Amino acid sequence: MLRTVYLKSLRDHLTGVGVAVLALFLTAWLGLWAYTGVEGADSYIASMPDAFVDLLGITRESGTAGLMMSMMFGFMGAFVIGGLAVSFGASAIAGEEHDGTMNVLASVPRSRGRLFASKCAAYLTLIAAASFAATASYWLAASIAGSDISSLRLWAATVHLTAVLLVYGTLAFATGAATGNPAMASGIATALLVVSFLGAGLLPLFDGWENVAKIFPWHYIDGTSPLVNGVNWAQVAILAAASAVLLAAGAAAFVRRDMRSGASSASLADRLRANPRTARLAEAWRGSGSTGGLLSKAISDKQGVAALAAYGLFVLTVVMGPLFNALHASLGNVVASMPDAVLAMVGFADYSTPTGWYHGEVLSITGPAVFAIVTIGAGLALATEERARTISVLLSMPVTRSRVAGAKLGALLMLAVLCVALLFGGIWLGSVIGGLGIGVANIAAAAALQAGLALVFGTVAFAVAGFTGNSRAAAWIATAVALAGWAINTFVGVNPGLDWLAALSPFHWALSNAPLDNGMNWTGLAVLLGASGVLAIGGLLAYGKRDLRG
Amino acid sequence: MSDAPAIEVDHLTKKYGGFTAVDDLSLTIEHGEIFGFLGPNGAGKSTTIRTILDLLRPTSGACRVVGLDSRADAVAIRRQVGFLPADLALYPNLTGRRTIQYFANLRGGVEWARVEALAERFGAELDRKVGEYSSGNRQKIGLILAFMHSPRVVILDEPITGLDPLVQLEFHTLMREHAHAGNTVFLSSHTLSEVERVADRVGFIRRGRLIAVERMSELHEKSLRRVTMEFPQPVPASAFEGVEGVHDAVAEGTTVTARYEGAMAPLLGVAARNGVASLTTASVDLDELFLEYYRESEPTGGAAA
Repeated sequence: MLRTVYLKSLRDHLTGVGVAVLALFLTAWLGLWAYTGVEGADSYIASMPDAFVDLLGITRESGTAGLMMSMMFGFMGAFVIGGLAVSFGASAIAGEEHDGTMNVLASVPRSRGRLFASKCAAYLTLIAAASFAATASYWLAASIAGSDISSLRLWAATVHLTAVLLVYGTLAFATGAATGNPAMASGIATALLVVSFLGAGLLPLFDGWENVAKIFPWHYIDGTSPLVNGVNWAQVAILAAASAVLLAAGAAAFVRRDMRSGASSASLADRLRANPRTARLAEAWRGSGSTGGLLSKAISDKQGVAALAAYGLFVLTVVMGPLFNALHASLGNVVASMPDAVLAMVGFADYSTPTGWYHGEVLSITGPAVFAIVTIGAGLALATEERARTISVLLSMPVTRSRVAGAKLGALLMLAVLCVALLFGGIWLGSVIGGLGIGVANIAAAAALQAGLALVFGTVAFAVAGFTGNSRAAAWIATAVALAGWAINTFVGVNPGLDWLAALSPFHWALSNAPLDNGMNWTGLAVLLGASGVLAIGGLLAYGKRDLRG
Repeated sequence: MSDAPAIEVDHLTKKYGGFTAVDDLSLTIEHGEIFGFLGPNGAGKSTTIRTILDLLRPTSGACRVVGLDSRADAVAIRRQVGFLPADLALYPNLTGRRTIQYFANLRGGVEWARVEALAERFGAELDRKVGEYSSGNRQKIGLILAFMHSPRVVILDEPITGLDPLVQLEFHTLMREHAHAGNTVFLSSHTLSEVERVADRVGFIRRGRLIAVERMSELHEKSLRRVTMEFPQPVPASAFEGVEGVHDAVAEGTTVTARYEGAMAPLLGVAARNGVASLTTASVDLDELFLEYYRESEPTGGAAA
């Protein structure tokens, strides 16, 4: 192994690991702190039926703290550390090729095999360290909040979580090593991660499909309730073996193939366009006006991601209409027996109604997540021109800075509108197909509030880009705002005594009045649009005043 | 406005915290000139250019292009300027043609025939993705973007990076044609031979300060020449000490080398008296002259043309 490569790879990602662990710690602490104020929740959990305690994968004694830990391991922590694993894995080798630094790295008198081993060791170290550090932070959060989690086997759950997430990260690592294409590597691994999450979560709800969920690695995060039952070493060994096979395949391909140099690889869209059979479809997808002007180029730059996200959300929301009819009988019985506070804590909303189903499944998380991906990407595009140094040529044309920034803002607005229009259409169509009878005006109100939420995410990124020209800072800060907003609204929102704190979250203004039931929250819409307007103007003004990078 | 110089830099200072990138720099470039802007890495060349183009904002001082202020009239300036940045970056997912179309759309009034003519002249490939180009091919696209609208002022920052010698020649010809038509070329470079070949005047920048501006023809006249003399028997170097215009005489066996400036007669007189058998002369490479500027321990202060 090459020690210097190993250490540099660790150093490159330590900040990312630190930020992720800190975010998880704050989320855990926030949730534990808010839950302790919910009266009667602990005693309710202690008296819950066995089936439901098993479903949550916690012990009765752990109470609301156990609920929070279950959420950290099964959802928040899994996604955050899973994201790190995929990101580090995809960039470990393929990232060096994309950046052109592989040209220098590969010229040192060391074998590719040793380079692969060094990168691989760094990647494994980072993900294991992130996973165990996150668990340590949960202990700390529980201690500070005064919550008793001594009946839970946190380290056993950590072993399962790490083994599962390494499968996804290793898929990204091996694909990157085999192809040199980091976008493809992260795309494939992320797709598998998302499909696994949905498959492992939804399939067990259908009779006869329970066992199919077991083909997804995600299932093994809490499939045998490691928080209660400890490590299932057989499962962990199978997961580790899967990762080892992927690594072996990646290594075999890496030592045999040509090295890439720089970002010259063709994107998926380009490959589709080059193929005569898919060229027309790809051109339609891409649009024809990409170089017509600043706005059309700004839109077309993000068109692929936005279209994929928006159409995906559309299909999901349509399918959820008939899906509600298939599930609501079984959900309704469980939900009807639970107090509201506990319902909110487990994120169920009121799943026994169509509006609660859409509120909990789409408006609370999936929709905002999709909007965040689209609008944050569009918002930080202003800084991307500086990072890519294309701003030098662009601003040698007779256009003002405010026109350049205005075009990025216009693209952000239009992409948000596209996403929200498809969300509206999806819920409406799902409601019609499922015969759910959700009012069109209420759907429109919910969509408008989601648009406000999307614009807040995007304009945070835009403002940071306008002030700093740093696209990475814009992405991190906007994502942090989105995650913190979600966490505050989700965890703090369950405790009525903490409403003042929940008002800091943009999610609160978009969701608190349950718009699918109660229609428009004009105050909420005004707050969201007002905040977006202030951020957009701030970004525009700052962009006009400062030195540009690149 | 038409009487205004093509480019004026007026006591420009640009600081980044405690670091001064450009220090009280003043410079005037007239229409029809090719002005070479020379300096080592980090001297402040690109900072000066980026300030002229309003990508950076001066800490103090001002820049004007054809009489227009770089801050207040930035867009009007860009209508009349073509720019090729150092280390050119373009959109990797666009073809060369789409790249040019995009910028031509933004600029307006670009004749596509001119683009085609420039592309043919440079042998530029327009139908492949920019991300797949070699640095030279990417640079050709940058040159087309800089010249496609026949701008009154062209600002080029290290333009020949990656270009092969034939394309370099073609590019130099284009620059001269452009200047002969009354336009101005501001050529920033640390490739001395390039500047020597095409520039009318040259400015030297060092540690953010303009240390000299010279007309190229005068620079050649001023420049030292080197002489190598062969004698039938060893002649001491001291024989040439104090001879008018002679510097740094060195004797090695029967060979004496020296550098001289101005008339050669005094040197020839001493050589003839010592029975010189053969004599060859050569110009001192301009590089050597430039290096002398850079080697000076202290800059002589800002200079205005």
